[in-house]
Amino acid sequence: MATYALLLNHAPDRYDGLTEDDFMAVIKDYIAWVEDMSAKGIYKGGHKLSTVPGKIMDSTGGDIDVHDAPFAEMTEVLGGLMLIEAASLDEATDIARTCPHLVHNTRLEIREVDDVD
Amino acid sequence: MTSTDTQADDLQQQIVRIARRERGRLVASLVARLGGAELALAEDVAQDALLAAMSTWTYQGMPDNPAAWLARVAHNRAIDRLRRSNRESPYAEESDTRSSDDVIGFSSEIEDPELKLIFLCCHARLRELDQLVLTLKVVSGFTVREIAGVLLDSETAIGQRLARAKRKLREVPEDVDAPPTRFDIQARLDTALKTIYLMFSVGYSPRSGDSVVRRDIAEEALRLSVCLAEQPGAGTPNAQALAALLNLQASRLGAREGDDGSLIVLSKQDRNRWDRERIAQGLGYLKAAQQADALSRYHLEAGIAAAHATAASWNDCDWNAISRCYELLLDLVYSPVIVVNACVAQAMRGEPDLALETLDLLAGEKSLQRYAPYFVARAEVLRMLGREGDAAEAFSAALDCGGSKPVLKHLEQRLAACV
Repeated sequence: MATYALLLNHAPDRYDGLTEDDFMAVIKDYIAWVEDMSAKGIYKGGHKLSTVPGKIMDSTGGDIDVHDAPFAEMTEVLGGLMLIEAASLDEATDIARTCPHLVHNTRLEIREVDDVD
Repeated sequence: MTSTDTQADDLQQQIVRIARRERGRLVASLVARLGGAELALAEDVAQDALLAAMSTWTYQGMPDNPAAWLARVAHNRAIDRLRRSNRESPYAEESDTRSSDDVIGFSSEIEDPELKLIFLCCHARLRELDQLVLTLKVVSGFTVREIAGVLLDSETAIGQRLARAKRKLREVPEDVDAPPTRFDIQARLDTALKTIYLMFSVGYSPRSGDSVVRRDIAEEALRLSVCLAEQPGAGTPNAQALAALLNLQASRLGAREGDDGSLIVLSKQDRNRWDRERIAQGLGYLKAAQQADALSRYHLEAGIAAAHATAASWNDCDWNAISRCYELLLDLVYSPVIVVNACVAQAMRGEPDLALETLDLLAGEKSLQRYAPYFVARAEVLRMLGREGDAAEAFSAALDCGGSKPVLKHLEQRLAACV
């Protein structure tokens, strides 16, 4: 078994101005999926990232340059990450196929967590 | 549907219910501190905080005790938001509840704020339907979409009702904010009971709309009625009678629907599926309600429901007692709808011919023109009199009134049984 990280991207303005009903409809789908996957022993944890824009730190020029992340200009931002357990990347892909993220948003990336025994 | 799908559905409903309940509690506690004139702000803050708190569950799953967790997070978020806003509020001056034992303090005051909030939403200045919509939204946490679905109205129309109700409440802040005295409670109780009664009817009636939401609304009305009946000062005989009535009616919620979702009418229900605990509760409240001289429609309707609940079968029912309750009820509140029900009892008591006479007199009644139960009652009485052809005609008229699929299916079966 290996651990895979699902990196969930969404448009920066995806959740702006949603009605309570629409936001709730999205939320409950995700929670139900996470609960279901946890009950099956597949879901290993996750973190939602805050929607408050962060900082970009850049040392290309020698000094560390700190500036605001240009959220508004980006086509998508990282919303958070989930960790699941699967036998292979293929199996992880099949599991991720059922994730409501691909219903309510359009893209996610799966990466194996490097764990050298 | 697979069992996993059903589980996922159950889980989704559970999440929605927790959110609803916590939103109601949070709004109640915020309004208790900010005053009724700040209802809109309290709702806004509560919604914001709750959705923010819940959105972390989308990655972490539900905590062990979701209700306590939500209450704590939402409460702290609400305090933070009020602090950040420039509004002067008594709330912001409170000491940070995070350092004191907040969760306990929060829940220990629930009963009172919730009662106040019910009375606020049932303010006499508001129209009846606006009171209902506001109570469903603010006290019980149903969303505009859910309310629009069960009231068969558009989301825009429901939104307008809410806006109008809140505007009216803002116009009378001093009235709204005054802590209700015992006298106020008595005065507002009648309106509150009526609203809860209406709420239950909306949830209980098998009309179109999401059946899960309707059932949740019926359960919520039951909860509020019990909440009122148990409040010192508000637990009057009338409140107890309403709690009795709703418990007795709700005892049948599980037995009214077949496995395929079809409606099972009272006479055909499997009485073993009635909720005995609720019947016992209902009979207990009815007994308490009868201690005083008061006699309300809730007493009489609860009496009728009790006669059904304690009978071994439809035919064994004490139809004489039920008829008497209907006569008294008609003296209190005349309505053609009650006459229709009284006629069914009269027919069951052994006087179908007299019942039919009365029903025929109602034929021109405007409010019954599209009221399916009137035609069904007529059809059933006609069948008792052996007039199958006329009964079939009456069942067809009932079908023309429309209704939810289960109801229509039931009527079609009854129609087919007339030969």
